[in-house]
Amino acid sequence: MSDKKLITMELEGRKIRVPEGLTVIEALWDTGHDVKRGIGCLSGLCGACTVAYLEKGAGKVRFGLGCQVVVTEGLNVIMLPYFPSRVAAYRLEEMDDPYSRLPEVYPEVTGCTGCRACNVCPEWINVAEMMKKAREGDCAGATEPVMDCHMCGLCASRCPQSIAPHYVGLYLQRASARRYPIPPNLEERLAQIRDGVYRAKWDEADALDEEGLKEFCRRVREEPA
Amino acid sequence: MYPEDLCRLIERVDATRAERLKQDVPRLTEAEQADLLKKYHPDYKDCAFRTLRVGPNKGERTTHEIADLLESFGDLDHSKVPLTPAFDTDVLVLGGGGAGVTAALFAGQTGARVLLATKLRLGNSNTIMALGGMQASVDRADSPLRHFADTLSAGKFAGRQELVRTMVEDAPEVVKWLLDTGVNFDRDSSGNLALKKGGGLSAARILSIGDHTGLNIMKVLKDELRRDDKIEISEFTPAVELTTNERGQCNGAVLFDLGRRRFITVRAKAVVLATGGSGRLHFQGFPTSNNFGATGDAIVLAYRAGARVEGLDSFQYHPTGVMFPDHMVGILVTEAIRSLGAHLVNVRGERFVNELETRDAVAAAIIRECERGGGVTTAGGRTGVWLDIPVLEQIHGAGVLRQRFRALFRQFMRVSINIVRRPLLIYPTLHYQNGGILIDVNGETSVPGLFVAGEAAGGLHGRNRAMGNSLLDIFVFGRRAGVAAALRRGENPGAVGFGHVHDYYERLRALRISSISKSPTLFPDFIVDKL
Repeated sequence: MSDKKLITMELEGRKIRVPEGLTVIEALWDTGHDVKRGIGCLSGLCGACTVAYLEKGAGKVRFGLGCQVVVTEGLNVIMLPYFPSRVAAYRLEEMDDPYSRLPEVYPEVTGCTGCRACNVCPEWINVAEMMKKAREGDCAGATEPVMDCHMCGLCASRCPQSIAPHYVGLYLQRASARRYPIPPNLEERLAQIRDGVYRAKWDEADALDEEGLKEFCRRVREEPA
Repeated sequence: MYPEDLCRLIERVDATRAERLKQDVPRLTEAEQADLLKKYHPDYKDCAFRTLRVGPNKGERTTHEIADLLESFGDLDHSKVPLTPAFDTDVLVLGGGGAGVTAALFAGQTGARVLLATKLRLGNSNTIMALGGMQASVDRADSPLRHFADTLSAGKFAGRQELVRTMVEDAPEVVKWLLDTGVNFDRDSSGNLALKKGGGLSAARILSIGDHTGLNIMKVLKDELRRDDKIEISEFTPAVELTTNERGQCNGAVLFDLGRRRFITVRAKAVVLATGGSGRLHFQGFPTSNNFGATGDAIVLAYRAGARVEGLDSFQYHPTGVMFPDHMVGILVTEAIRSLGAHLVNVRGERFVNELETRDAVAAAIIRECERGGGVTTAGGRTGVWLDIPVLEQIHGAGVLRQRFRALFRQFMRVSINIVRRPLLIYPTLHYQNGGILIDVNGETSVPGLFVAGEAAGGLHGRNRAMGNSLLDIFVFGRRAGVAAALRRGENPGAVGFGHVHDYYERLRALRISSISKSPTLFPDFIVDKL
């Protein structure tokens, strides 16, 4: 055993002493919770390990990621993964302007009262602002912050209207990708490959021995762009 | 927040920044690079490896950690596993990361029945942790040939030519598919795909979505899976053994239901193994950037079934893994930071390597610097060097970090470290399994009916993977494996059995090997090294 200082905390409703410096996930493992669900990247990126916690003396419950929140004396914490959310079925390729169809796909968006309870994002997304933009038809504006969303669903857990902002965001994100035409540089390259522009060079490479291949690669890499 | 002793050392980083900006650190010559790798790269540390005594790669070198798993009896009691399949399907996909999901989507498109089984939640994988981006030669100044040459060179010409060619030629098509599916890659003002440079690449070729590229692709693909009701998903059910028929073809797998603690036998016409890499085996005691589930299960399952592996003595140590604070050790700092010009700085405030060398060389240079006494040691006993990120604000203008590295900025603001003003302490972190189960251009292994895609597969990246090629290869070979596996759906899979395991164990017994291991590992043992 080590000389690490122990702290007392409440973990999944159980008062328990754990060494200081652990994350919530590590504290769970250390105290015999065989946690597999709700564990993912352990880097604060995947959103699998959402937790709700009350710090000692604090008046307000906070939310975060169990692999990033370090336990402190008097902390009261539970895991909160997999909050139930309604997900719409849709086929983007059958829509001309998916942005304009948002009120049909997610009609609950119009029921958003702007209470801002959803602003608990561990990635600091201003979810309320995003929902406001979506409600008012500024879909491009609403899509912008969604790139930071890792679908943990904490925002949905707070919504009194049972809206799942993370799924609304995902719809908008996918819709946004379909609004642009195929990138010209990609289209050009696809045509070149289709037309066999590189075929002779590939044949040349295929016929080379090991040393020849190294020389070939050196030449290709050094050609001016 | 940094403690006082580190803050004092950071003052040296701040004080030397202006001088360093004027400095040009020369690139290594080929001979210098070879010498550096030989002396300092973990792949060349002979005592960490041994020669396999059994199986298709008998006589070849791999890490002790992998050899321990392969040269032992698994703790699964095969007599307790029901041999009557609980599920019959056309294609069984094992793994719910980018490669598995892609294989499932393409197999499903052909009309095949698909069951995708995954150890954790669908999508929980190293794919979502791919920060920097994905390679595809779409720029005018670039070409698939250049991509080919860069990839082979980065891999020290140990990668297989036909696999590399397949990957680079498919790349633009894969990008088109992702765009059509609703992946919003960053664009420039003229609507072209925006491109970044990467270490060791001869052209700008990295596509990205902010600094959350893999995550945003995975979100979309996972969502896309919902639409196909022929694809069934089974979460929290890792595969613990493959099954074969009397002809030695792979025809299913045994899954372990983590909740019910029961075995489920699945029979299939073909199996796609896409369970990722092995960072959580912590080779040589290195920290890892990998997901909780990356325990090398695919190697164990496939090797016992008789599949050849290749290059399992080569791993990628990403140069910039976090060393402080303690609870973030091993987490990756994206290579894009170095691509843009951030400096690696020793305890004296000096640069010691050109930051745009390939990952293996930069990692070796950091290890050398720390062994030579140029490192910074934390109270937690870890040693690293500084990654001077604030310098980017001077090169590219104030605000660039908050704008282009939003995720990284937040990640460290949570622990009160402001990357706009503070460098990060870093050291190489175990990042990628360069080798794996040998595949052909359709992802099939030397075992008929067994396909492999993604990090589990080998033969492609040689001895060092270039940045952005793993995010690409999971889609290229996930697609090919999914389609090729689905083409087997007219075949008779035969009865499921463990003949291959009995044969394999017979050979272990003949060698007087009696050790038992938990193999596949499934989950890393929890060791809190802070205790």
